[in-house]
Amino acid sequence: MAAIVAEKLTKVFNGFKAVNEVSFEVKEGEIFGFLGPNGAGKTTTINMLITLMKPTSGHALVAGYDVVKEPEKVRGKIGVVFQDQSIDRELTGWENLWLHGLVYGVPRSTLRQRIRQLLKLVELEGFANTPVKKYSGGMIRRLEIARALIHRPEILFLDEPTLGLDPQSRAKIWDYILDLRKEHGMTIFLTTHYIEEAERLCDRVAIIDHGKIIALGSPEELKQSIGGELIYLKVSENPSLYSAFLEKLSDIQGVLSVKTLGNRQLSLRVKSASTTIPAIFDLAQAAGVKISEIKYTKPSLNDVFLQLTGRALRDEEASWRDHARLRTQARWRR
Amino acid sequence: MNEFFNAMGVMVYRQLKRFTRARSRVIGSIFNPLIWMVFFGLGWSGLFTSSMAKLLFRGLDYMSFLAPGMVMMAIFTASLFSGMSVIWDREFGFLKELLVAPASRTAIILGRSIGDALTALAQGVVILAASFLLAKQLTPVGIPLAVAIGLLAAIAFTSMGIALASTMRSFEGFNLITTFLMLPLLFLSGAFYPIDSLPLWLKALVYLNPLTYAVDATRYALTGVSSFNILHSTAALALSAIILTLAATYTFKKSTIE
Repeated sequence: MAAIVAEKLTKVFNGFKAVNEVSFEVKEGEIFGFLGPNGAGKTTTINMLITLMKPTSGHALVAGYDVVKEPEKVRGKIGVVFQDQSIDRELTGWENLWLHGLVYGVPRSTLRQRIRQLLKLVELEGFANTPVKKYSGGMIRRLEIARALIHRPEILFLDEPTLGLDPQSRAKIWDYILDLRKEHGMTIFLTTHYIEEAERLCDRVAIIDHGKIIALGSPEELKQSIGGELIYLKVSENPSLYSAFLEKLSDIQGVLSVKTLGNRQLSLRVKSASTTIPAIFDLAQAAGVKISEIKYTKPSLNDVFLQLTGRALRDEEASWRDHARLRTQARWRR
Repeated sequence: MNEFFNAMGVMVYRQLKRFTRARSRVIGSIFNPLIWMVFFGLGWSGLFTSSMAKLLFRGLDYMSFLAPGMVMMAIFTASLFSGMSVIWDREFGFLKELLVAPASRTAIILGRSIGDALTALAQGVVILAASFLLAKQLTPVGIPLAVAIGLLAAIAFTSMGIALASTMRSFEGFNLITTFLMLPLLFLSGAFYPIDSLPLWLKALVYLNPLTYAVDATRYALTGVSSFNILHSTAALALSAIILTLAATYTFKKSTIE
């Protein structure tokens, strides 16, 4: 049985289709990721799956229960780590976990034991009795992960689990996530706009843009779907010579496609970079165009996104939001 | 059913825990009625000494007349402002954590209002103790009744706070509304002066104000003096509590469905 089934899931806000007929299945024990830029509909999709929002149309089954008809059943089976902090800052780490366990009906003696284990797992034993308002962002995130696991959910939802965290905290959280799957076979659904996160963690990735899934598969499959290798180059000046150069580029043997990225930057998909690069130089020389930069890469999920949408899925896209978020936190901490 | 009370109990526990950490808020809501009692109450007490004044306050000295009103004022203020935590929880995301829990939302909101009501009552009890030091004509026998009335009023007004907070999206909005509501409700409750000789149109508002019945019943409990029959005022207060609790549950649920 599939852990999550979504069928033509749609959410419309005031005429705007935030999520547009999204369909997918998540297998049991799988780490499944939604990768896409901010505003692509990732959080809205999660909110429908965790019963915080009602879909405008379409269906979803989570742990075998319909999210609209049996929301209480769904809630009992899932653990959620929200994108924004959702912890009671006045209470201590222990108290937050204790309350959560009681609300989910975990017997007290079991609960005490689990809290101890989980605090150890996320390396917060030493801060159990510290009010959360004194925690750092990374510590809060770890506490939230521990909290989401207290009632032993079948499916764990992580909405941008490492947003705004420093690299060390991020690496730690990746380790916990991989451990959870390895040791407990837990099904994990996560959203991210970090390419590295999707590549490192996910068994399968759905790339989402403007509320639609535009590609779905394992990171390997997705990268292979582009085929070949990628060459980026930047040429300098002289527009008249440049267009002639551009025309002839696609005639070079082994060049599969040419994409202009603006600002005289190009991306070429080629069969083999090592044989094509010399040919590009020859052509440039003959055309009188100067190449100022050249590099080649094996395709990443970013290239997949670029190929499908013509835009880059850059990490910077989130930075204004991270910024606002960190500022808000700083304001409250004062 | 068991799960319902479990979730309710957890919320009571949480609101009480939070209360013990929020010292500045507690001091604020106790300080205000104390100021009124000491500076306003003592000030007028010196003037209201004639037999005419005794008649006005139905045989009570002014301080004894004022004190029950101030106990209720402490409970009312603390209760209403506790609704702030709903906005707080929304702002800090804790609300979402509660909404994905497999617990009844009614249980969550009831537990929350009972928890906050208990903390408001505790603040009322502090003022009650101070009242016995300042006012001479209070009867200790009435304390249990006054506390019971206080709890009923606290439940009514925390629900009012939750209902207001659920419809408000910001701290500023909530503050504005409560400030607009607070003073008129207090002045039209008979806490500061007898309501019997008010003009008719004001009297109508006084009768609609649930705080009126809470103040009158507390005054009855502590001094034996009242404008209404104690059974009537208690019934009116209980009815207000029920209506406001339903309103809180309704607005809270409505504010969380998207």
